[in-house]
Amino acid sequence: MIRNINLWVTDGYISIPDGNSIYIWGYTDAAGKRAQVPGPRIVVNQGDVVNISITNTLPEATSVVFPGQSGVTADTGSGPQPAGPKYDGGGNLVSLTDFADYPGNPGGNPPTITYTFTAHRPGTFIYESGTNPHKQVQMGLYGAIIVRPSDYDPAVPAKKTAYGENTHTEFDREYLVVVSEIDPVLHQAVEQGKDYKIRDFLPRYWTMNGRSAPDTMNSDNAGYMPNQPYGAMIMAEPDEKVLIRYAGGGIENHPLHPHGNHTRIVALDGSLLKNGTEDLSYKKFTVLVGAGQTYDQVFTWSGLGYNPSNPIPTVMPNLRNLGVGDAGWTMWSGSPYLGEKGDVPVGVTSFNQVGEYHFMVHSHEEMQITNWGEFPGGMMTMIAIFPTGTLGDAGTIEGLG
Amino acid sequence: MATINKRFGATDGYIRVPGGSEIYIFGWVDLTGIPENEIFSYRGKAQLLGPLLEAKVGDEVYLTLTNLGMPVRPDLDDSHTIHWHGFPNQIPVWDGVPEASISVLVGRDFVYYYKPLAPGTYIYHCHFEPVEHIQMGMVGPLLVRPADYDPGNPAYKTAYGHGTGTEFDREYFIFLTELDTRAHQQIEAVQEYDWTDYKPDYWLNNGRSYPDTVEPSGALPYQPYSSLIRANSGDKVLLRFVNLGYQQHSIEILGVPLHVIGQDAQRPLGLNGENLSYRKNALYFAAGQTMDAIFTAPSAGTYPLFNRDYHKNVNAGTAPGGMVSEIQILAGSLPPQPGPGQ
Ligand SMILES: [Cu+2]
Ligand SMILES: [Cu+2]
Repeated sequence: MIRNINLWVTDGYISIPDGNSIYIWGYTDAAGKRAQVPGPRIVVNQGDVVNISITNTLPEATSVVFPGQSGVTADTGSGPQPAGPKYDGGGNLVSLTDFADYPGNPGGNPPTITYTFTAHRPGTFIYESGTNPHKQVQMGLYGAIIVRPSDYDPAVPAKKTAYGENTHTEFDREYLVVVSEIDPVLHQAVEQGKDYKIRDFLPRYWTMNGRSAPDTMNSDNAGYMPNQPYGAMIMAEPDEKVLIRYAGGGIENHPLHPHGNHTRIVALDGSLLKNGTEDLSYKKFTVLVGAGQTYDQVFTWSGLGYNPSNPIPTVMPNLRNLGVGDAGWTMWSGSPYLGEKGDVPVGVTSFNQVGEYHFMVHSHEEMQITNWGEFPGGMMTMIAIFPTGTLGDAGTIEGLG
Repeated sequence: MATINKRFGATDGYIRVPGGSEIYIFGWVDLTGIPENEIFSYRGKAQLLGPLLEAKVGDEVYLTLTNLGMPVRPDLDDSHTIHWHGFPNQIPVWDGVPEASISVLVGRDFVYYYKPLAPGTYIYHCHFEPVEHIQMGMVGPLLVRPADYDPGNPAYKTAYGHGTGTEFDREYFIFLTELDTRAHQQIEAVQEYDWTDYKPDYWLNNGRSYPDTVEPSGALPYQPYSSLIRANSGDKVLLRFVNLGYQQHSIEILGVPLHVIGQDAQRPLGLNGENLSYRKNALYFAAGQTMDAIFTAPSAGTYPLFNRDYHKNVNAGTAPGGMVSEIQILAGSLPPQPGPGQ
């Protein structure tokens, strides 16, 4: 199939739970819309011919690179040419690939460009700016591409996979978590047209899907975050295979640690960890998501079999002898049992719905789970395990394409 | 299968860094077996690292956390928790995340129950405002033995079980953390600290900086674990690495190639049991990772262990210091090891 995807490169604002509003550059899927972070998810099938056209409205040139894709061409109006790095007259690198100029640049390139590639292999990939990337990617010009295997069929369990039938990458549910970090001084300097030295980079906020905790746990398309449409909450039922796709959208590396269980790493950078029949996947409880890297992993939580008729072997103290809601809220149900609800103290807001369990997923560089020093915040979300049969249709990630 | 009853107190205290400075910490103290009327005398006696917690797969561990409060900061009524980092299939009530279950108030007890499911090197730490409580020192080593572990039978004295190729003669923890002394001073002085300014000036191996690292266990009152590694030539030595700092570290031992047989408390095994263990000269760790490596002790001599991020082998900017330690290989005069790190 041919997939035609149109993106606009523009600016906007994102919101941080501490009340701060951060100026961003980013992608959006319609003319006149504000930019979003991360960019729109692109979901295509293996073998598709993908045409991605961008229209630049920024005050400087921009471009898109597609790490992991081969044979990318670029077309600025005179026909597709192999995309490649651009150098100035002095031989200095000015862009990692062909670019769209800023509108109205006298004698410059057009402000639009179309990139084309064939999605040869399934996996999780990144797309991001290749022009002044030390600034533009930090400003928010990054997003993720999911390529489905050619035999993908979400209606057939053996074919609802990340990498194809018989690759041991079946999943019941899937989630995408793109991580990054924000130095508000950089963003303010760009907004005000001031000078900024990237050597001074000092992040104060850390994000999953463009949001800082606790906003990470809110739903997709939450109204008060119009430019951060993707939640980062992971939800599943016991024993389900949960495909978690991590992507490193920032310029730093982040060690992500899920509570509740290990993950099995099944692919790196869109490459399946197999060598013929030899399986090279492995389990970890902390994955270092490197800048520009992607990790596909399968998580399953099965529990220990406790329920009110098979009670836990310890005695729960009286509620007034427990700390609950230290952060001003809690995800706890008030009961040690899955699917049960108990009491929480008066005045504490519980976001627990049906007695589901919550397991934190977070950067273990713990300053990164603050918002400018205030815990809880930053690069943190929850894996919520719902009682069997309560979560409903799994759904899969949808996007442009 | 044994039932293990432990009781840890959470409180504050002081540790020493080379040069004589005292650094304010939060941390754990072992209250196991202490009569109730003497518990209060353990306030202010936190140690770094916390007491070693050791269990076998299938054991039942009842771990009582007692929040003793902070004598140096009586204004601070912080709760605490114990999070068994890496424990599979945990349930929230024992997982120690205050936002997802409960925390333990000052003056209160709470019993955590663990039945370890899988062998390996784990960590325990407080998860209450973790950026502060972990950096302040509420961390400890945790190891789970395989169910068939038998120290009297070489084929069953293993990290991951009989037949897994993880036999060892001696074992040592190398538990990496950092110290940003500005943060510790601010907290001692009841000041706010912006954690996004985090910039450590000491790098610790088992809670100590070199040359304290090579002092024997017991030499520093509140830093009980030596980082000195000793073995007889030919011994198989198991190193249990933990990174519970907020930085990435690269540890190297010149002249001692390392066989990595465990990562994050799992043997590196493919789905069909493919053995994915590997050999390294320098081991790279992210925060919150553990790794198990075995080496065969070379000929007698002293082999330095250090951080390949050389700028971290310093104490407040002065070398040598930081995570540096020594592997001392003897010709055969060392008696059998009574326990980890001893
Ligand atoms: Cu955690
Ligand atoms: Cu942890």
